[in-house]
Amino acid sequence: MANRTVTQPPPPPTILRSRTRPWTVVPVLLVVAIIYSYGWNVTRIDVGQLITKVYLVRPLVRDLVRPDVLRWTPRLQTASASLNFTAEGAPAPGPSVQTGPRVVLSSEVVKPGSPLVIRGEGLAPSRPAAIYWKDQSGATAKALDLRTDAQGAFVVQLTVPDLIGEHHQIVVEVTLEGRQLRPSEAATLVSSRLVETLFLALMGTTIAVIFAVPLSFLGAKNLMTRNPAGTAIYYVVRTVFNITRSVEPLIMATVFAVWVGIGPFAGVLALALHSVASLGKLYSEQIESIDPGPIEAITATGASPLQVVRYAVVPQIIPPFIAFTVYRWDINVRMSTVIGMVGGGGVGFLLIQYINQLLWREAATAVWGITVVVAAMDYASAWIRERVV
Amino acid sequence: MPGAAVRIEHLVKVYPDGTHALHDINLEVKPKEFLVIIGLSGSGKSTLMRCINRLIEPTSGKVYIDDVEVTALNHEELRRLRRQIGMIFQQFNLVKRSSVLTNALSGRLGYLAPQWALINYFPRDVKLQAVENLKRVGIAEKAFTRADQLSGGQQQRVGIARALMQEPRLILADEPVASLDPATSHSVLKHIEELNRQDGVTVMCALHFLSLARRYGTRVVALKAGRIVFTGMPHEIDEHRFKEIYGEEAVEVEIT
Repeated sequence: MANRTVTQPPPPPTILRSRTRPWTVVPVLLVVAIIYSYGWNVTRIDVGQLITKVYLVRPLVRDLVRPDVLRWTPRLQTASASLNFTAEGAPAPGPSVQTGPRVVLSSEVVKPGSPLVIRGEGLAPSRPAAIYWKDQSGATAKALDLRTDAQGAFVVQLTVPDLIGEHHQIVVEVTLEGRQLRPSEAATLVSSRLVETLFLALMGTTIAVIFAVPLSFLGAKNLMTRNPAGTAIYYVVRTVFNITRSVEPLIMATVFAVWVGIGPFAGVLALALHSVASLGKLYSEQIESIDPGPIEAITATGASPLQVVRYAVVPQIIPPFIAFTVYRWDINVRMSTVIGMVGGGGVGFLLIQYINQLLWREAATAVWGITVVVAAMDYASAWIRERVV
Repeated sequence: MPGAAVRIEHLVKVYPDGTHALHDINLEVKPKEFLVIIGLSGSGKSTLMRCINRLIEPTSGKVYIDDVEVTALNHEELRRLRRQIGMIFQQFNLVKRSSVLTNALSGRLGYLAPQWALINYFPRDVKLQAVENLKRVGIAEKAFTRADQLSGGQQQRVGIARALMQEPRLILADEPVASLDPATSHSVLKHIEELNRQDGVTVMCALHFLSLARRYGTRVVALKAGRIVFTGMPHEIDEHRFKEIYGEEAVEVEIT
């Protein structure tokens, strides 16, 4: 081969010979144009709609920038008394108060349909008030509107309705002057669900860590590929990691929601399963990249294998493990809101309910709550990772 | 704490890929010697050193330290012997994320009960000893700094402190200054020299620069392709010998 090439003139340097001729540019451009025009049609891109239909989105956007967080509520004065259908098992009556707002009943043990005299005393004078029946399940029904007299008292007679359960309450609410700013119902619900979401992510991540740590050692090439059995385990573990990771957690959550029912537990399981694969892969790669130098050095000092692991291996893998885990928790908080939408519990489930009911201001509360929490998690996890690694 | 004597008989190392790293090495190192091993990269210096404390298992041949046959020891006996052999590395081999103090302390692990490692416990006197040794190499004020925050020279001094924790009778230094600049090289080698002169520790030190070998060595051994090609006093290496060891094209580079 060598002596043959000597007789032939050397080929011109390829860098001077352009492989693409000018005429090939035209068909290439044509093909590209066809692809994009098909894409334009199949995805029904219509930029004009962005302008012409802006009126449709305007109220929605307006609601989204006005989340339902705080509400003005009237200041209330409440008093209550217990009411029982049977004396048996009735809650012990509280100490009878002689001063302050109080409600006194003509009889504490009554029957449905019998008359009941309700006296209110020590209430705000000359203010509108309402009386509610509160049954054993906690449901309330308004019985009557009235007005307190100049001494802050009232007397009314009512017929006892047929309430569910045996032990009930009479609640009197007097509307006072002025109003107060209180978190709205949506805000309290969103914040409690956000806490649920944080813990959902925490539990999912923790369960994942418990499984991912041992599995990662089985998925580390430098540890496992020393003999055929180890190599086989390595490939199995890595394949399982890759397949599990490629299944969307959204799909997992749907499956688990069917399996264990809609709620945070399904979300925990979906996140845990997905995170085992992600963390396992990251951990394995970390184990693979440890510096063998310290292991050699500490072995050379006469340390035992346990000491070598503790002082040469552990310090190299624990900080990155912690960093990856915190980062995963951060990802899982974000992911759990999406998972919640398909029945995984947490704030996502609440958000999709608000959206389905077209409660845009409440939905906006959830969206803003998620934004704040995710941004905070982002900063927190970056801060922790910076200090650990 | 007298220095250890090393005797190597017919040492051969063949790596699994077929590389003949060492061919029939015979070498005797007397107590308190500062033996410098020179030779090109790949001439077998590192392999020879690691065969002495059996970080690398020799293929055949025998290594004796004070008439103890290292190559015949079982795991536990070898571990006990390794406690007396300090090792200093080209890349320092510190645990980068651990503190300087922890790195120094890890030199003492061989003397401690292994289960204490689980709770990261070191007795008070060991900690004091670590601080003493860090003072000795002039780096005590960095005790709580992470090892990777230090300069190369400082890291190597931590490496020396770690070896000192072993109260070694023999120090194997595998190109301890190859990653350092000339000025730092001298400060590190002076610490090793001091160990050799004051404490009487036997030193086997691989070096790249002949000038350093002449300055610090009490005796020089040259390796070429796994064979000893020269043994003698540092000043005996002239132009002719130099070319023999390093090849015809080599030019001696001075490091001052």
